[in-house]
Parts: sequence; structure tokens; C-alpha cells
Amino acid sequence: MNASNPEIYVIAAAIVATLMPGSLHIRVNLWFYGIVTFLVAIATALTAIGHAEFGLLGVALLIAVLKAVGIPLSLLWTSGRLNVSRDKGCFLPAPLAMHSSILLLGASFFLTKDLPLPVVENGGGGWLGAAAGISLIFTGLILMLTRRLAISQILGFLIIENGIFVFALTQTRGMPLFVEMGVMLDVLVGVMIGGVLIFKIQKSFEHIDVAQLTDLRD
Amino acid sequence: MNSALSLWLFYLLCVVFAPILVLGTIRKTKARLQNRIGPPLLQPLFDLVKLCRKSETLSKTMCGIFRLASVISLADMLLIAWIAPWLCYKPGPDSADIFLIFYLFALTRMFTMLGALDSGSAFGAFGASREATLSLLVEPAALLGFISIGALTGSSDLLQILSFSNAQLSGSPGIWLLVGTAVLLANLVESSRMPVDDPTTHLELTMVHEAMILEASGRNLALIEYTHALRMTILLGLSVQCFMRAIPSIWNAEPAVQGLINLTGIFFLAVLIGIFESISVKLQWRKVPEFIAYSLTMSLLASLIAIGGRAMK
Repeated sequence: MNASNPEIYVIAAAIVATLMPGSLHIRVNLWFYGIVTFLVAIATALTAIGHAEFGLLGVALLIAVLKAVGIPLSLLWTSGRLNVSRDKGCFLPAPLAMHSSILLLGASFFLTKDLPLPVVENGGGGWLGAAAGISLIFTGLILMLTRRLAISQILGFLIIENGIFVFALTQTRGMPLFVEMGVMLDVLVGVMIGGVLIFKIQKSFEHIDVAQLTDLRD
Repeated sequence: MNSALSLWLFYLLCVVFAPILVLGTIRKTKARLQNRIGPPLLQPLFDLVKLCRKSETLSKTMCGIFRLASVISLADMLLIAWIAPWLCYKPGPDSADIFLIFYLFALTRMFTMLGALDSGSAFGAFGASREATLSLLVEPAALLGFISIGALTGSSDLLQILSFSNAQLSGSPGIWLLVGTAVLLANLVESSRMPVDDPTTHLELTMVHEAMILEASGRNLALIEYTHALRMTILLGLSVQCFMRAIPSIWNAEPAVQGLINLTGIFFLAVLIGIFESISVKLQWRKVPEFIAYSLTMSLLASLIAIGGRAMK
């Protein structure tokens, strides 16, 4: 395996993402998210160069700028405004959540090994990339399940989105530029709407704890 | 014959001086980062000599175990230093089983705890109870990493696992990095360093290791301090051995170069620990399991790689 193989970077992204459920600090989680997304951007750029599809290079740049830097910064600003720095966590303690996401990382490797994956001519991604994508989706799910703050829910959703992107990137020769930009726009709008919603929830409930949202309030 | 003699001489020098210098390096780094000049590098040695000259105070409730514990711990640690391959060049037996080494570490810990309980002070008892909790958490983390490399080599002998002629592991730097990090993090817990336990504090709420040795004085304390430093150095040496194998060019380097890198690596890690201790704060006792979880995480990832590697064969 040489360093220009995109699979290394997506696997590294999946491994870094498994560390996310281990910390309850919003700031640490946002840092991890930035690193994961940046690794995905590198993998995208390498795939673009490998397949000589330079539209994908633009996508990589967009991911690196908007998703790896922009979204964490805006969520950091939101958490600063709302004065939340630490999630309380629920259902599973943070260390156990991290260990279970690692077990799921292992499980996804065993799952994808026997999965009938599309054979792409001119390289394409092997099953390792697919495993990384599925593992990212699992990690996002665990993050969403074990967290109480709305910001962490958004983070979990973003990790799932990364996973879907990685799966598509490694199993096809990259999506068309317009589809990709549309997805990117959706994510951005999603984060923005999520941010606005969090402010709204905070205003009407005086907290952003989703576990307590079942209580009615007039 | 001459070379065997020089090997033993080098090894004895390492066993005697490396722990002292490692401790001195950590203290010096911390002092420099706090804008102090700091004690000389050999200050731990001077401290030991000073302690040896002092007389000893023993409580009336103690039976013999308290004093015996420190002697047994030291003997046990010297045995580990002889068996475990923490240096590239050292005399030792023909095989070094991982389980033997790690449970010899556990034996040392058990006698330290027994000594603490024997002292009859309340501090000793709670220090021992905390140490028992920590060891329970950290043992799987340190052991699992080495076992996963062992599963790839098909042997539990640390000499075979770490042998440079074992070319099948030269192409997987990931697993070595993970195991090295796991052992390094476990070492911070084992040798009661900063995020888990503050070695310089004597505040009763925060002590773990210091609480256990609070009743020790004089030569007894000197023995305990030295054993503790030696334990940290051996574990640092083991993690350096792992990190070295993550760099492909070291596999084919000259043996002398490998030995040099090994020694430098130990002191480099000591400097890193010093820097880390300067910028981190001691964790709340309830948060410690979250920290140790990262060590176990590294080991779990390493074991995943090992299982995957075996499945692909």
C-alpha cells in the first residue's frame, strides 16, 4: 500500500471517527469531525487525480473548505453562543460507546468482504473503502443514539453523510459534479437549519437536551 | 568473552542510570516549560542517596510485609528488566513470554498494595483500593495489544514478536503504532503520571500511588521510588520498541543504530511525557476510566487488524 492510495485515507477517517463517541466535549468532537472530513477530502482529491476527473477535484476543495473548516467553526460558534461545552450522554457511557463503534468497525469489514460490490474498471475502490463508508455510518448512528444535545445529533448526522459520501466515492468513479454540489448544498442548509432550530429549542425550552423534549410545555 | 562482558556492563549501566535519568528528564522538561532552571538531571539519584542515609520510622501495627513488599517489588522489577526486551542489546533468557512479563508487573503491584494495607493507615488503604481499580482497567489495554501482534506472529514470546528477522510484520506500521500508543497510555496510568495521578502532590483527595507509600521512609522509600522509576522505564522501552518497528527503514538498519534509536527514543518519550504533564491537568477520579478507554481503544483496533490480517491469509 502506498501513500497515494485513497483507501488509506478513508480507513484513517473511519478510525478517527470511532474515537468521537469516546469524548463528551463538543469542542473535541468538532475537532475530530474536522479531521475526518479533511481525510475524506484528501481521499476525494486522490481519486480525482487517479481517474483524471477534475470536477471531483473541485468537490474535494469544497469539502476541505466548507465541510472540514466551515461547519465545525459554525457549530463551535453556536455552542459558544448557547453556552454548552459538554454533552451529558445517555444510554451508554462514552468509553463503551467508543468500544462498540470499534466493534462495529470490525463488523463492517467482515460484512463488506462478502458483499457483492460493483466492479469498477480502472481501479475503483475495493471492499476496504466500502467497509470504511459503512463503519462511518455505524459510528454516526452510535453518536446520535448516545448523545443528548442537539448539536451532537447534528454531528452524528454529518458523520453519516460522510459515510454515504465515502461509500459512493469508493464504489463508483465519483458522482457527477452537479449531484455532488447539490448534496453539499443540502448538508450546508441542513446544518444551518439545525443551528436555527437549536436556537429556537433553547429559547422555548431553556435547554437543548433532546432526551427531555418529551415533556410538554405550554 | 570480552563482548559479553561489555554487554553486561552496558546493561547494568542502563538498569541503574536510565530510570534516574528518565525521571530527571521529565522533571527538567517540566521545569523548563515553567520557566524554571529545574533540578539537575541526576537529582533523583541524589534524592535516593539522601533517603538511604536517613533512618526509618515504622508504625507499631506493621508486620513484616511492609518492609518485605518493597524488597520483593524491587527483585521482581529487576527480574522483569532482565526478561523483557525493553532494550535492543541486553543479556537475557532465550524466551520472554508476554503473560509472564505482564503478570510479574501485576505481582509487583500486588505487593505494593499489600505493603500499603499493612501500614495500617487509612490513606494506604484507599490508595491500594484506587490502585486495584486502575490496574483492573489498564491490564486488558496493555495486554491485548501485545497479544494481537502475538496472534499475527503465532507466538506469545516477546523476543520472537519483536525480532527484526520477523519480516512478515515489517509491512504493517499501523499495528505497531497502535500497540506502541496503547502501551504508552497504559504506562501513564501504571506509573501514576499526570492525567491519572499527580506524582508531586500530597493532597489526600488526589493521591493514588503517593497514598500507598505515604508511610514509607528512609531506605524503604528509596527502594520503592527506584522500583517505580524502573517500571516506568521498562514500559517506555517496550513502547519505543513498538514505535521503532513502525518505521520501515529501521528494520534493515545496523544493529548499533537500532540500539541508539532505542535509547534516544526512551528519553524522547520522557520529554514528551514532561510536555504533556505541563499542558494537561489531573483528571477527576470519575473521568479516569474515559482516559484509560483510549488505551483500550488502541489495543482493540490493533486486535482488529490482527484478526483481519489472519483472515486475509
